[in-house]
Amino acid sequence: MKKSFGYKLNIFLFLLPALILFIGVLIAPIFMSLSYSFTEWNGLKDPIFIGLDNYKELFTSKSINIMRALKNSLLLAGLSVFIQLTFALWLALKLGKKPVGERAYLSIFFMPVLISTVVIGQLWLKIYNPDYGVLNLALKSLGLESWTRVWLGDKKTVLWACFVPILWQYVGYHMLLMYAGIKGVPTELCEAAMLDGCTEGQLNRYIIIPYIKPILRVSVIFAVTGSLKSFDLIYVLTNGGPNHATEVPSTLMINLLFLRNRYGMGSTIAVMLIVLCFVFALLINLVFKEEK
Amino acid sequence: MKKLLSILLAAIMVLSMVSAVAEEEITLTLWSIATESDSSHQSFIDAIAAFEAANPGVKIAHDTTANEAYKTKIKAAMSSGEGLPDIFFTWGMGFLGEFVDAGRVLNLDAYYPTYAAELPEVMTGNSTYNGSHYGVPYSMSIVALYANMDLLKKAGWEDIPATYEDMIKCCEDLKAAGIIPFGVSGKELWCLSEYVEPLVIKSIGGAKLRDIYNGVATWNDPGVVKAIAAFQDMVTKEYFDPSAIALGNDEVKNNFIAGKYAFYQNGSWNNGDIGKAEIAPNVKVGTFPVLDPENATLMQMIGGPNNTLAVTATTQYPDLAAKAAFELGKFLSNADYTSGANLPCWTADPNAEVANDLIPAVANMVAQADDMVLFGDNFLSADAANTYLDYIGQAFAGDITAEEFAEGLASELN
Repeated sequence: MKKSFGYKLNIFLFLLPALILFIGVLIAPIFMSLSYSFTEWNGLKDPIFIGLDNYKELFTSKSINIMRALKNSLLLAGLSVFIQLTFALWLALKLGKKPVGERAYLSIFFMPVLISTVVIGQLWLKIYNPDYGVLNLALKSLGLESWTRVWLGDKKTVLWACFVPILWQYVGYHMLLMYAGIKGVPTELCEAAMLDGCTEGQLNRYIIIPYIKPILRVSVIFAVTGSLKSFDLIYVLTNGGPNHATEVPSTLMINLLFLRNRYGMGSTIAVMLIVLCFVFALLINLVFKEEK
Repeated sequence: MKKLLSILLAAIMVLSMVSAVAEEEITLTLWSIATESDSSHQSFIDAIAAFEAANPGVKIAHDTTANEAYKTKIKAAMSSGEGLPDIFFTWGMGFLGEFVDAGRVLNLDAYYPTYAAELPEVMTGNSTYNGSHYGVPYSMSIVALYANMDLLKKAGWEDIPATYEDMIKCCEDLKAAGIIPFGVSGKELWCLSEYVEPLVIKSIGGAKLRDIYNGVATWNDPGVVKAIAAFQDMVTKEYFDPSAIALGNDEVKNNFIAGKYAFYQNGSWNNGDIGKAEIAPNVKVGTFPVLDPENATLMQMIGGPNNTLAVTATTQYPDLAAKAAFELGKFLSNADYTSGANLPCWTADPNAEVANDLIPAVANMVAQADDMVLFGDNFLSADAANTYLDYIGQAFAGDITAEEFAEGLASELN
């Protein structure tokens, strides 16, 4: 009994530094944000407790318009799951067949993940530039001048223009996760299926994809929560503009926190984002669990 | 003997420590927006060098951040109260007011009398709160209308149009000649306000605009509606660069310098960059015409003493930092003026040689000014200023009508 207690105490003592770090870095800020979300605070004077007023204002204020930001984020999440992950899976399946230049392809597709987001943002700003951007120049040279536009200024195109680099940047990341999973599929399993007359499509559908489902689940969670938290590329490309057309919760939060000095309201958005990420992660887990 | 030796050694050690302390260098930190692309960049470098030379043992560590990012940085630092610099660049009125209100800024009343003869009281109004001085203004700016006279001549105009009707006619002529009349950044909302505010002041007059900013009068005013309608009319008639919404201010300024636009309306702090460009001899500076002559005059302008240095209340060296703020401010005022970047807040040598012809023209406009109201996004508090800029952005995009602009701002800000 005494020995067992000592053993548990040892475990506790060894885990304690990590636990303190975890609470200090992750849990405490969440609770601090939660407490600030119930206050009116400009970051300079003492916060004033206002109960749920920030939450009421968040969902009713026309000037904040959180629903527009959420709609944009959810659209990005949908595109990430159905376009980005589908493309990443297709690439991973192709590379899993050991084509010539497999490693070179892996490096090329993974390269955007390694490049700084600010650099990628600047690169796409140049591509979209209405005067000298590659996109408009290419369209003009193809005789499609009527298709040229101010890609990041036109409200009809700006959202899609922002989503393209975001989806492009992380295809390689998800591809690598899935590729690692595909490499873990036992060779004998695939060979047995082939001997039984399985086509390549059937092999992918009935053997490989079900086998890498835990990885697909992780990818879906990353894609959805990443979309809800998306910030950096949108900040560089449009900063939520023009006229909030590309606003996402994170850019709105930064605007309220640092431009409007509304730390209470900014914290309210932070809390909402945390809750949404948790809810979506749980839902995705539930969907994959049911299928399992 | 041993005792004597040890006492001597101890004394030498103490003396060496004292001299080390005496020689220790004091470093004051200064945050500003004078990045390499800023027209005051060189003035800051020279001002710091001059202060360091006059004050041996004092160094100034200068940290620069570009305009928009600087606002975020200084606000975040002021909120936490940690890692604050000793001296910081700020805009007057609402921007500095919030920091003063929170007790983050050093009261400079004790230091101001030393410099009062050179820094007139009238120049300190935008950094004075409850009768106390909290900032050292060093330069003033107005919204200036820069005109490329070569392009105007191509469209058949020999001068900047003096009436609103002529301005519209001039824009039509420019368009017909294949020239874009105005350059503006729609990406940076404050640039749109450089067009809106002159229209508003020239529709309702300076006194009323000041009352609106102060919350004494309502935004829902027929004159405001008229000004916004005129602004939107300019947008729908395509007087602005069609790419405006995707361009930053630096790109727009460079486009003007490259001869892409006939007019560029922005702060007179652009004198430095435009004045030293090749285009300078063909540029004339003026002011936007009057929209409603019953309420406003041509020389009612947007602007005022605004670029300011302030000292944080948490500085370890309040006396030295205050002295540095005043000395740097004095130097910058003169350097910005002679380099052609800005107008001085401190008394300037009337015979001083200035680097370009634009500054004397702007100085002349200021001398003739009937009234001057500070830039709206500086006048208002941070939250109100951003709401206001948001509405301007919506008006530019055509998302709201002029009436909705006035009603919306009245309901949110009044």
